[in-house]
Amino acid sequence: MSASTHQRQEADHEDVPRAAPPSGPIAALGATALDFLRAGLELYSVFVRALYYVFRGRREKGALLKQMFEIGNRSVFFVSITMGFIGMILVYQSGLQLRRVIPDFTMLGATYLELLVRDLGPSIASLILATRVGAGIAAEIGSMVVTEQVDALRMCAADPIDFLVVPRFLASLIMTTMLIVWASTVAFFAGAATAYFAYDLSFQTFFNISLIDTGDVVTGMSKCIAYGAAIPIVSGYCGLSTFGGSEGVGWATTRAVVNSSLAIIVLNFFISGAAFLIF
Amino acid sequence: MAAATAPDRDPAPGPSRLDAFAEGVGQSFLVIAATAGGMGVLLGQIVRRLFPPRIDKTELWRNLYKMSVKSLPIVVVTALFVGAIMVIQAAPIVKRYGAEGLLGWGAGFGTLREIAPLLTALMISGRVGANNTAELGTMVVTEQVDALRALAIDPLSFLILPRFISITLTLFMMTLYADCLALLGASLTGDALLSVSPQSFYNGLVGSGLLGFGDVANGLFKSFVFGLVIALSSCHFGLSTTGGAPGVGRSVTATVVASAAGIFIIDYLLSFILG
Repeated sequence: MSASTHQRQEADHEDVPRAAPPSGPIAALGATALDFLRAGLELYSVFVRALYYVFRGRREKGALLKQMFEIGNRSVFFVSITMGFIGMILVYQSGLQLRRVIPDFTMLGATYLELLVRDLGPSIASLILATRVGAGIAAEIGSMVVTEQVDALRMCAADPIDFLVVPRFLASLIMTTMLIVWASTVAFFAGAATAYFAYDLSFQTFFNISLIDTGDVVTGMSKCIAYGAAIPIVSGYCGLSTFGGSEGVGWATTRAVVNSSLAIIVLNFFISGAAFLIF
Repeated sequence: MAAATAPDRDPAPGPSRLDAFAEGVGQSFLVIAATAGGMGVLLGQIVRRLFPPRIDKTELWRNLYKMSVKSLPIVVVTALFVGAIMVIQAAPIVKRYGAEGLLGWGAGFGTLREIAPLLTALMISGRVGANNTAELGTMVVTEQVDALRALAIDPLSFLILPRFISITLTLFMMTLYADCLALLGASLTGDALLSVSPQSFYNGLVGSGLLGFGDVANGLFKSFVFGLVIALSSCHFGLSTTGGAPGVGRSVTATVVASAAGIFIIDYLLSFILG
């Protein structure tokens, strides 16, 4: 969609050198705003249609299980490794931070667990997942678009959203939640080991769930669901709007990773803010 | 004798599950070793071309513009929101202990040392690293790199060196920028949510004496190393692309995954080494 506007602008101003903005800064700003609005509307339409087809769509046998395997099982190793390292870094850094004020590490584990359940587990795990899952979804759908397989689907009266996006959407909703719970557990145990070796903090002191309350768990779970929905929708949209051959697939992948990460960060801000005001 | 043993061997020609598993593990270790070795060789070749530096200036400027200036919007949005999230997460703890004066320090410590370099690196690897791989990969599969070689132009000093320098510089500058913006976002959120005025946020950040230049330098050094990781992996996977258009997509995914994993692992090592 942005390609068509650029082409139109360049066709209107063929005598203007390429380096100059097409028709003044205000027009460029307006074009950007319109592009942005159009992309937002399209993203919204993909989301609504995916929700519709979740209930009314045709079922393809095995597609959901296949996607669950692709999204879930194939990411377990990657997510475990990265979240394990993140857990070690976070506990080490907060220990350093704590040592500068009060050399009392008894609440380190409880505070870490609260932060992990409420924010860090879901957010960082889904930022990691967005790179792997989002890139995979966009690359797959994007290469289908540029090889005109999606047009072939439309010719067969199968909506590509029903056929391509919905299985990934459902699989991601289920598997993201599971992976986040698993990754947070890995991060917590890695943190416990770090506290034991770096600060001589016993496991009994570290395993302290006194600060966890319903609000934390509800916030964490709603984040899991929101991110699990956001990653396939944003990446699916980026994949479906691919243009320009093999280079376009690379661009679609890039946009999918960047936009799903942005979506996660923005959603995190709103959910965290709402949770702070509610609980 | 051969005829006698043949019936024994024939019924089980396929490998057992354990053999297949062991083979898979071995294969992935070989792939990881080949990738690490390839990156090491690439780093060596790049360093050799830096002395004396023979860099194509036009290419360097073009890449710097494309990578840095064009990444500004996402870095701005990410940094502002991340600063805000840091304060929202610290808010219950601040309220519990009534430590409004320490909010600036608490948010600043995590942001400057850890979160700003890490998240900026993730965003830049998603945008710049992936795009770089896609570009180089397309050049490789359409044999443009071979064309450069045929014209006796060294692809490493013409294509790779400017990109390498641009990515490293971009990440360094963007982290500096993200540090400032994240602190701005944090102080605004602290003002709105906890009614901690920007003055007392600033006092907690600078005046408490708990946060020094060392913390900023720590984060910036990390961002430099992350830049090297992103540059190396994106150039390596771009140059080793095979298999046409689908291969480009595979390379891009491999780059993003490898740089994310590399960033986290190196972050861990650096956190311990720098202390």
